[in-house]
Amino acid sequence: MDKKKILYIIFFSIIIGFTYNFLNPNGIPLIREERKLNFAEDDAVNLDSSLTFQNIPDILPNKNDFSEKDNKKENDSLINHSTKSKSSITVPFTKPLAIKIDKAYQLYKQGVKFIDARMPEEYTEGHIKGAINIPFDGDESYRNILNSFSKDEILVTYCSGTECDLSILLGEELFEKGFKRVYIFFGGWNDWVERNYPISKGKE
Amino acid sequence: MKKIFSNEYFLFIARIVIAFVFIYAGAEKISDPKSFSQAIYNYRLFPSEIINLFAITIPWLELIAGILLLFGICVKENSAIIGTLLIIFIILIVISLIRGLDINCGCFGKGSPIGWRKIGENLLMLIFCLALVAFDSVKFSLTINK
Repeated sequence: MDKKKILYIIFFSIIIGFTYNFLNPNGIPLIREERKLNFAEDDAVNLDSSLTFQNIPDILPNKNDFSEKDNKKENDSLINHSTKSKSSITVPFTKPLAIKIDKAYQLYKQGVKFIDARMPEEYTEGHIKGAINIPFDGDESYRNILNSFSKDEILVTYCSGTECDLSILLGEELFEKGFKRVYIFFGGWNDWVERNYPISKGKE
Repeated sequence: MKKIFSNEYFLFIARIVIAFVFIYAGAEKISDPKSFSQAIYNYRLFPSEIINLFAITIPWLELIAGILLLFGICVKENSAIIGTLLIIFIILIVISLIRGLDINCGCFGKGSPIGWRKIGENLLMLIFCLALVAFDSVKFSLTINK
């Protein structure tokens, strides 16, 4: 075995790799941009978006089961923040936003669609009540259901907890597919169960 | 045992299998560097400053080593490179499994979560690589020397 040859092969691979990446329009930056799952800032944005959400009722999914009263109350409580957020109301999401359990539950009560990005087996074992299963690693056929959703609909993706990435990957995929309001529920299934929020088992 | 591993047909098949696996793995990652960068990030073992350097170079190393293996060029050297990569991959997957991470392995793009099966596959390929490093494989090789 010739160590020199090994070094040559590695060296050429590195050169080709960088050259290709430089020329490739889909190339990546040399230093990875930190994923901004920054909650302090994002939470403020989330508040804005929920305001937008409540102020424009026609983008609401029709089948919402929350009562008007609840909605009003929440709206009132949020109005205090509106002075600052009004300017940003029309600002669309530039990427999926991360949310934590409290915000997730708030959205859940509003009847927002939750998407379980885990594998079907885990979904069957237990999932957030009413959530749809679109396993990120799964078959394309799971994604067919997306065609029936409006692109303006609010979607929340989740997976098992904070250590999993499926929700983030799926969230980004949905966002790239044109869904404008995608939230990634960062605590996921673990946080949800911990709080004893509604769950269901089986395929539905 | 030694007889099996030094059998020229065994070595030839091992060479071709590893070559195709790594050509595929490399090409897949080259086509989608973003996902691969994300996959490395998900292991939560590397500082974000160096992740993309790996994401840019490792797929090409896999692809080139795979192609050279396929044509039987510098078989020992390329097997050593791939073997080293495999050892690194195995270690990373074991660490992640012990830490209980529920992530994609980033081996062949989407659809391959980490698990003991992945370790098994990698170990098998590692054995092939070690055999190739030890005994070389000159069958249907482009190199005329030796």
